[in-house]
Amino acid sequence: MKTGDSGFITTTMDRAMEWARSNSIWPLTFGLACCAIEMMAMQASRLDVSRFGSEVFRNSPRQSDLMIVSGTVTKKMAPRLRRLYDEMPYPKYVIAMGVCVIQGGPYNQGYSVVLGVDRVVPVDVYVPGCPPTPEALTNGIILLQKKIRNETER
Amino acid sequence: MAYEVKEENSKDGRKVLRISKESLLELMGDIKGSGYDSLSLISTVDFRDRIEVVYHLTNSRTEEMLAIKSETRDSRMPSVTSLFESANWDEREQYDMMGIIFEGHPDLKRILLPEGWVGYPLRKDYDLSKVQYVNMDDEGNDRVSFDPGDGW
Repeated sequence: MKTGDSGFITTTMDRAMEWARSNSIWPLTFGLACCAIEMMAMQASRLDVSRFGSEVFRNSPRQSDLMIVSGTVTKKMAPRLRRLYDEMPYPKYVIAMGVCVIQGGPYNQGYSVVLGVDRVVPVDVYVPGCPPTPEALTNGIILLQKKIRNETER
Repeated sequence: MAYEVKEENSKDGRKVLRISKESLLELMGDIKGSGYDSLSLISTVDFRDRIEVVYHLTNSRTEEMLAIKSETRDSRMPSVTSLFESANWDEREQYDMMGIIFEGHPDLKRILLPEGWVGYPLRKDYDLSKVQYVNMDDEGNDRVSFDPGDGW
């Protein structure tokens, strides 16, 4: 990116698109279990996620870019989750929030829980914790923004 | 009274009655008439050779609570839906998880697990090594299979 004195900047179209996309990630209103409470805290005024451009939780999958899978995914829920994911327009991203979503967590030995949501939908960012703090989830969104902008995170 | 009731005391002082399952309906009717008008909960305990069914009742005026314990060896119980409307879903839940067939229930089917699930998962003899997978067809009906490729 190059700035001049004459009041305009030059960049590539890709860079501009990535910048716009990464700063307007609209998540889907989709809470499955107790992690959803932390997701709400992340969205609410104290830890306002709208500082990073994802303030509007959309109620329709057709209008959202990001699915935050917040809570235990049961086997009965998995086909519904897949259908919601399929209804989202491209480009779409998924954050797996909490250990239940990552590998089953405390329900790992159980009979009714999917052992990792990455068996159902492709996951971009994993946020571990039981539940993760709202700050951790905010960090997950920042990580996702970096991923969209093709910046490496090590 | 034509039936035999055994009274026990629980640790927290709550009254517990023990009754055979043949006389359960009669006792429940009398208990309801005496003021215990709310069926809070139905729970079950698996003792491998028998299953104990516990009915938790509340007197909403005096706020007294009472538990009625009964047991079954053939997984069959009389339904109390004729006395308490709330028993409908409670009995469906116990059918879903423990496989107790409540005779006289108007609509006895699974309430939490998808239709077609094999076995009753809260029983001690439930085989956890046989993993079941669930998928959904276009109409929104659940399909259950043992094939990992067919569902999640």
